[in-house]
This record gives sequence, C-alpha cells and structure tokens, in this order.
Amino acid sequence: MRPLEYRRAEDPRRAVTAVAGRPGAMFLGAGTNLVDHLKLGVARPDLLVDVSHLPYDKIEPRPGGGLRIGAAVRNSDLAAHPLVRQHYPVLAQALLSGASPQLRNLATTAGNLLQRTRCPYFQDVTTPCNKREPGTGCSALEGYNREHAVLGASEHCVAVHPSDMAVALTVLDAEVRVLGSGGERTIPITELYRLPGDRPDRDTVLKHGDLITAVDLPGLPMAAHSAYRKVRERASYAFALVSVAAAVQVRDGAITDARVAFGGLAHKPWRAYRAEEALRGVRVSAAPGDTLAEATTAAPIAAGGAASTGENAGGTSTVEDLRAAADAELADARPLAHNAFKIPMARNTFVAVLRGLLREEGATR
Amino acid sequence: MTVEAARRGGEALGDSALRPDGVLKVTGEFAYSSDLWADDMVWGVTLRSPHPRARITGIDVSEALAVPGVHAVLTHEDVPGEKFYGLEHHDQPVLAIDQVRYQGEPVALVAADHPETARRARDRIRVGYEVLEPLTDARRAALDPSYPKVHGDRSNVVRHQPIRVGDMAHARRVAEVVVRGEYEVGMQDQAFLGPESGLAVPAEDGGVDLFVATQWLHVDQEQIAPCLGLPTGRVRLTLAGVGGAFGAREDLSMQIHACLLALRTGRPVKIVYGREESFFGHVHRHPARLRYEHGATRDGRLVYVDAEIVLDGGAYASSTSAVVGNAASLGVGPYEVPNVRLDAYGVYTNNPPCGAMRGFGAVQACFAYESQMDKVAEACGLDPVEVRIRNAVAEGSRLATGQVIDMPAPLAAMLEDARAFPAPPPTGTADVRDLPGGVSNTTHGEGVRRGVGYAVGIKNICYSEGFDDHSTARVRLETVGGEPAALVHTAAAEVGQGLVTLQAQIARTELGVRQVTVAPADTGVGSAGSSSASRQSYMTGGAVRAACEAVRERVIELAEERLGRSLPGASLHDGRVVAADGLAVASLAEVLAGRAVEETREFRHRRTTALDPLTGQGDSHVQFAFCVHRAVVDVDVELGLVKVVELAAVQDVGRILNPLALEGQIHGGSAQGLGLALMEEIQVRDGVVRNPSFTDYLIPTILDMPPMRTRILENADPHAPYGLRGAGEPPTLSSTPAIVAAVRDATGRPLTRIPVRPEHISCG
Repeated sequence: MRPLEYRRAEDPRRAVTAVAGRPGAMFLGAGTNLVDHLKLGVARPDLLVDVSHLPYDKIEPRPGGGLRIGAAVRNSDLAAHPLVRQHYPVLAQALLSGASPQLRNLATTAGNLLQRTRCPYFQDVTTPCNKREPGTGCSALEGYNREHAVLGASEHCVAVHPSDMAVALTVLDAEVRVLGSGGERTIPITELYRLPGDRPDRDTVLKHGDLITAVDLPGLPMAAHSAYRKVRERASYAFALVSVAAAVQVRDGAITDARVAFGGLAHKPWRAYRAEEALRGVRVSAAPGDTLAEATTAAPIAAGGAASTGENAGGTSTVEDLRAAADAELADARPLAHNAFKIPMARNTFVAVLRGLLREEGATR
Repeated sequence: MTVEAARRGGEALGDSALRPDGVLKVTGEFAYSSDLWADDMVWGVTLRSPHPRARITGIDVSEALAVPGVHAVLTHEDVPGEKFYGLEHHDQPVLAIDQVRYQGEPVALVAADHPETARRARDRIRVGYEVLEPLTDARRAALDPSYPKVHGDRSNVVRHQPIRVGDMAHARRVAEVVVRGEYEVGMQDQAFLGPESGLAVPAEDGGVDLFVATQWLHVDQEQIAPCLGLPTGRVRLTLAGVGGAFGAREDLSMQIHACLLALRTGRPVKIVYGREESFFGHVHRHPARLRYEHGATRDGRLVYVDAEIVLDGGAYASSTSAVVGNAASLGVGPYEVPNVRLDAYGVYTNNPPCGAMRGFGAVQACFAYESQMDKVAEACGLDPVEVRIRNAVAEGSRLATGQVIDMPAPLAAMLEDARAFPAPPPTGTADVRDLPGGVSNTTHGEGVRRGVGYAVGIKNICYSEGFDDHSTARVRLETVGGEPAALVHTAAAEVGQGLVTLQAQIARTELGVRQVTVAPADTGVGSAGSSSASRQSYMTGGAVRAACEAVRERVIELAEERLGRSLPGASLHDGRVVAADGLAVASLAEVLAGRAVEETREFRHRRTTALDPLTGQGDSHVQFAFCVHRAVVDVDVELGLVKVVELAAVQDVGRILNPLALEGQIHGGSAQGLGLALMEEIQVRDGVVRNPSFTDYLIPTILDMPPMRTRILENADPHAPYGLRGAGEPPTLSSTPAIVAAVRDATGRPLTRIPVRPEHISCG
C-alpha cells in the first residue's frame, strides 16, 4: 500500500473542492471495496477524503410519493426500512442478497453504486487490464472469462458490474443526485453507468470530484409488485452469475407495463427495454404456475420434490411469451469462451422472476 | 450430541470429553500462530514471482536495503546451507535461484521493523525475468517424452505406478457389459482459516527457536536445519496455535525464511501470510484426469478395470509420490476385481505445487470409480447399492495390490445400513433457505427435482509403502498437591482434530488418574510423525498408551516393593493401585512418595512393504477404513443450482474413543467433500491462479451444508491400539461422489467433472 493523505470532510462542498482539485484524490465512504483495492494496488490515490459522516444518512419520503435515500445510508438500514420493503421489495431483496451482514452493516448506498468489477484481472495488478490501466489490453478476453459479460462488451473490456442494488434501482427509474464543482444535478440511473467502449476505465459518467449525495426513487405503484432473484454457486456470500430485477403491472388479464433489468451480464446493470416492450400486452393465463421444466420437457417433479402448483397447462403459452421476451433482449448476446451458459441462465431466471410475479398477481386478485 | 450431554459423559476413553481449546476458539481468545509476539521482533515478508515460468536474469536489492527501518534483504545467495528442501525429494529451492517454476514462488525476503515498511521495501527489489511459456499440460507431461522439462534434465514424471493383475485379454473377452468414462477433478484448496505464520527467535547457542503452526515438527526440523547450515539440535520447534491444516501444513512455507531472517538480524522475526498470499503459500489437492473402463458380467460382477490416472503435481514434488501410490493402490475402490490394468502418474508442470490434502490421492480415484459403479449398475439394470454390495470387499478379500484385508471390512452391511436410513421428508417451500439457491431467492419450489445418490470409499490409515512410521510419547506420573497427576509430552500436532483431548483421555484411563496435563508439542521429545493420513489416534494414541503402560508397570513394582509382595494382574484406578481381586492396596500418592515415574516409548505399527514398480503388488498399507454416504439433493433444473438436503454416513471406526469429536470429524470431512462436489476450485489459467480469495474461492457455508445422519460401527481391528480405525479422511472420499450421483439422479446429466457447475446441469 502506498502512503496517502487522509482528510475528514468538513462539509460537502469542501469535500468536492478537495477531490476535484487533485487528480489523485478519492472519496472514502465505508471503504468496504476501496480499502481492498488500496491493499491490492488496484487503487492508488494520494488523498482520501472521508465523506462517510456527512449528513446523508436519512431515508425520507418525498412529496408526491417516492423516497430520497441518502448516500451514506447503510445497506442494512436501507434493506430493513419499512417503506422500502412495502413499496420497493425488489430493492430490499437485492440488498439482502448481496455481500454478508457485516459488509451490509457498513457499506453505503453511494459506495454500493460505485463498487468496481470483480474481474480477476482487474484485481491482479500484474496482468494487463484496460479498466485499471488504459491501453494495456484485456486479459479476460482470452483468459478466464466465465463470470464476464455477454451483453454490451467491447474488445477493450468484458467486465461486469458487481452490484445487486444497482440492478434493482435500474428498474425503479431511480435518479442519482450529484454534487459537483458546478453545483447539483441529477442523473437517471440508466444513464449513470457506461458501456466499456474504448474507455473501460470509466465505469460511470461522473466527473472527477462528483459526490453522490442521494438516490431518489419516484413513486412507482408497480414497484410494489417487484422481485429480485440472483443465481450464484453457493447459498450466500457470492457475486451473481446472473440476476434479474423486475416489476410488472397487470390489467384485465394482460401485462400493461413491465420493468426488467439484468445483473451479471454487462458492464452496467442492463435495463431490458426490448424485453419490456415484448412483455407489454402478453396475456396472463389463469394460472401461469407451470415450471419452465414442465413447459419445455413435460417432465414431472420427482416424487418427494417440492410441490409445483400443479395448475393447468394454460400457463404454458404465457411461459412461452415470457421466454420470447427474454430472447428478444438476449438476441444480441455474445458469449466468450467460458460464459455461454449465462444466456440460457439469464433467460430461465427472467422467466422464473416474471412467472413468480404473475402468479402473485393472480393470487392477489 | 449436545455439549451438555458430553459434559455428563466424563473424561475417560470413550467419553465425549470436551476439548480444552473449544471455548477459547469460539470466544476469540485462542492464541493462534499469527498472534505470536516478541517485544523486539521484526517482520518478515516474501517477494514472490508473478510468473509461473521464467528465467531470473538478475536481482537487485539495493533500493530495498536503503529503505529506513529495513533490517535485512535476503536472496538465495544468503542461504548458508542446503539450497533445496522437500518432503520426499529435495527439489524446492529455499529462494529461487536462476529460475521460477510457479506463480508465487518465493524469490527474496525482507525484514523490517513494521510489516508495511517491509512490504514497501519488497516492492523496491528489482528482479529481472525472462518470461517463458509455462508448461501446464499434465497429460503431456505424463505421456509425451518430447514435452519440455520443468526441471532441467529430470523427467516430468515424478512417479508412475502401474497395477497389473490377472489376464486382461481374457477379461475383455469374458466381460458382458463394458462402461467407460473420463473424469476430471478440479484443484481443491484446504482453505484453512489460520494463515501460514510463525515466530523465529535467535538463540544464544547460535541456533534458533521456531514457534510455528505445522503438522509435523520433526520433519520441519529435518528440512530447516540443513538449509540453515546448523545441526538439527540447534533448530528447536514448538507448535503454535494451529488454525486448521488438512494437509496444507505438511510442506514448509515460512519456516526456513523466518529462521534465516532471525539468524541474520539477531532479532525475533514474525511472518504472517495474508489470505491472498496463503493461496500461494501451500500446496493444494492434485487436480486429476481419470480415464476408466469397467467390464462386468450381466449380473453386475466386476471382471476388470482398465484405468489411467494423471495427477498434476505442479512445480515441485511435495508428496506427489505418495499421492500416486494411494491413487494406484486404492484406484479400483473397495471392490473385488480379478483383473486390473491401472496406471497412475504424478507429474511436474508449472502449475501451483500440489501435495497433501485430506483423502490424499484416494479422493480423486473415488470420484471416478464410484461414478463408474453407477454406470455399471445402470448398464446391468441394477440398483446402485446392489451393484456395490455384489462387488464389495470383505475381511479376507484380496485388493488389486495383492494385499489381503486382515481386519473387519463389513462393507455390504454398511451399504445396507445406508440404504435403510429413512428418506428425508419433501422440502417445504416456506423457507427459501431450504431450497436450491438459498437466500438468493431463486426458486420457491418450481423446477425443483429430488435425487438420491450413494458412494463408498476406501482409505489407507497411517503411512504406507514401507515407511518407518512411528510416534513417541513421554509420560510422567507424580504427585501434585497431594493428588496423583500425569504429564503427557509428545511432538504430535493438534491441528483441530482433538488429539490433545484424546491423549488426556488415554492417560486418564490407563493410569487411573483424574488430573492429566498435555504438555505443548515440541521437538524436546522424539518425533510423533505427521498429523496426516488419519494416523494420530492410532500412532500417538498408541505411543501414549505404551508409555502409560510402562509407567503403570513401574508404579506397580514400587507398590510391590512397598507392600513386600507381588501384585500379579494389578491395575490403576481412581488414584489407587488395585490388585487383581479388585481390592485397592495402596494409593498412588503413597506409592510414589514424592517421586516421579517417567517413561518414554516409541510406537510403531506393523511393517508394510513397497509396491512392486512394475506390477504394483505389495502389502503396502497398515489399515483400511471405509465410509458410505447417501446424499439427497434438490436440484433447480432451470438454473442448475443444487441444495444438498441431507448427507447420511455409515462409518466403521473400530472403536469410538470420543463420540463428540468423532461426529465432528465425520461432519467436517463430509462438508469438505460437499465443497469439492459443488463449488470449491482454484481457477488456474496458464499457470496463474485467478481466485486467490475467500470471496472468489467458494467454500460451503452453514446454508450449504445440510444436517447429517450418522451410523457408526465398531468392528475392532485386532492390529490397532484399542481396535481403533483412523476416522478423519474416509468421509471426505465418499461424500463427493454421493452428492454428484444424487445430482445425476435428479437431472440425468453425465456430470464427469467436479466441482459440478450450474452450466453442467442446465445451462450448458
């Protein structure tokens, strides 16, 4: 670890000035990601400006609906907040599926948004990595790339964004409030993150010295009907291979609106606009309770296995529509040597999340 | 069993005596080797190669030496004695000389007054590397003589062990059913929690005292002293608190390095690896490729096995030779097979060095032969348990090595027991933690199918193939505060398995005293051998018993002198000498009369022989141990996620010495097998490790490990102390293939590679 200067920010504006005026300066929140990177030599700041104690630790209802989430709100507190649980279950679920309780107790909202990729080459300073050192090349392209991107990648970078929370925020039309040298502004979360292109060193559109102060959630009635599912190889404490956040609105037996985003597939949380478009108008059969396995293979659940709902086959057409919607989004997916499995896995997860939401929808009416 | 029940159970042999370090460990008060401290100590760090294969063109330490606070910077030139060491072959340089052969190989050392200073100085050492293409193809290393050599002119084959039995040509004609399979086992890590660490303290006699977490103090001592240019007696080792081992502490890590720095600086030197460094600081389980062909009759009786096993030993030999010996001699499993052609190879590559890990060569083979047994069952239309019963060895059976099993081997009954366990109930959907994906919320029951699988394994206990395997114990009986008290001193490493507890239980029982102290393990007493191969209950248990018997004889002689009559058949109970008729004739305090009785004994198991290098015949093993697993899994067939619902194990341990500790060993071994089945793998690409952290190398959590059901049998081995059978490793063998068999049962997928990934199940 290199020597560096540490300063505790006195107020937001001075924090921004301090970082903006020094190319080697960075903000420090909880440090759950940054401190690892300091040790690994991935981040090499010469100044850390600690903003973790600035007055951004509130979750407040906004006039006209919605919530303002302070940038320093801890992940655990956000996940447990009654209004979040009630109106934005996808966000609570995403937060709780991330990291460990100890990390969630410390990690902040802004820090979660700005955590960096778990790509092994990004973290190994002895290997070329365009994200860490622009122009050195991408080691993952021809290397170990099982966990890497299948959507929106470039020849310069195939890393994926690691956040669960950001995937949920992406379907909630969240806006990120930023304080910069030029004052305050808001950035829709769908515009916060970049695709790698030829500048994979830049994860977001933020400028050096921009400080995230809050995340605004709009009042979004369909968000009360939302869910997050995450596929990983052990039951907890692991990053997503694939995840899906979704919210749906059903009127008169058909999907009238839907928001879906994928995690684990791209350099940013991947808002699935094409899938959303394909979902609108999909007729919801009386009981879309069939499993995908039943729909595709007609194989029965093994005796003693967990019960399926055992409902009629009327759901099959819905499942096929859901699958078609996923395929519409994934049509442009380009697998690397080791990650082709992510495409069917994403499709199956997508179908599973939507099917679950539609079943709940059916149950509540 | 609960702790309360254990408390009631007493502290003699056969009771669930509680371990003295248990409460300390769970409350965070136990002193591990990483907690060692000396007031005037300096910190050592290691510079490692980033390249798996490179020529070193130069090392410049001048900038590092100039950093204020740095006390020493050492390279291979500063190694005063032997430049190479190793467990079986002295092929590993203390510090790299003219080339590096694996990523993470130590190149230079720094000692400084603060660890951060030492790390900064390390970053200023300039090493010139001419980077070479790493040699990473183990199969070519084994079979292709034209493949470049990892070690100069030396063959890449560390060991090739064939097994040849019967008439294969005839067997092929006779076999009615033939099944073939190719299997692959990924590189598993022992993943102990306590990183490599220790403290070396320079001594006034010019020697050094080393406090270190290890598995075998004396084999460390024998390797360290020649490299320091010191006589063995001037390098003294004391066991520090060990945070898990599982084979990963058999080889040296920081031992010689800390001693070198201590002798150079004249100051105590502490070295503690970080978690990432630890992945480069110890050997791993050999990854393996296994090709098997089984021939059988239509009714499922094995006619032949034709197999090839290639184990990737990585850059240095470590214990590869012995691992090959196990894979070969146990390679057809606990089955009677009249015709065998098997070739096991262990090779050098530029991959990370591999060596000992729980199960030691038997694990890799077990996954392959048990997968094959399921294929035989399917081909013959038989139940998987039935086909195993039809071929199972029993006492008197001859193994592929020609060795006759001369101890109970009730395998058929164990398999029946496993099959008879009640089925676990269907999983409810109320709690997602019970479902595949767990708290990831991936399914609420839809797409979930149940599967059941069985597997059995055979493991050798103690060191094999003619090795002079022994342990030493010194036992002292005296009166302390008017009470008789025993002191047990051995060099045996308590690595978490409960050996300290067991030694005290033995002394309590043999000497009839309540108060027993187990002295810290050090080299002040003779070697105890390694805490490996499930051997310490047998070997150090045997040595403590022998020493206690010698003490008891002396005490009875003293009693005879005191009473003026002979006491044939006398024993010691409850602090008294008890005559053959059951009457107490004197108290120990009276008999000892202020004197101490001390005896030291070496214990050896019966001799074994080498394997014939051409036919693999020989009585190479001391003892065989068996475990049977039944695994029940729920699989989300849409996403490829597995929830192990229950693991049930049947194990014959000969004699239960401590039920609670035994249960822990079976659970732990089974969990490690679950990890290999479903998630644990060091990802190596072109010789480089890609996941050296516990965030990226996944080990099972409490949510992944299911409840266990165990049935423990006690068929005594007449050759072993107390009839016991080593217990730590066998569950690790059979748990993996049982789980994979269950996943196959649920999905119909072939699953020839472990760990099984979601894409092998549904998204491939």
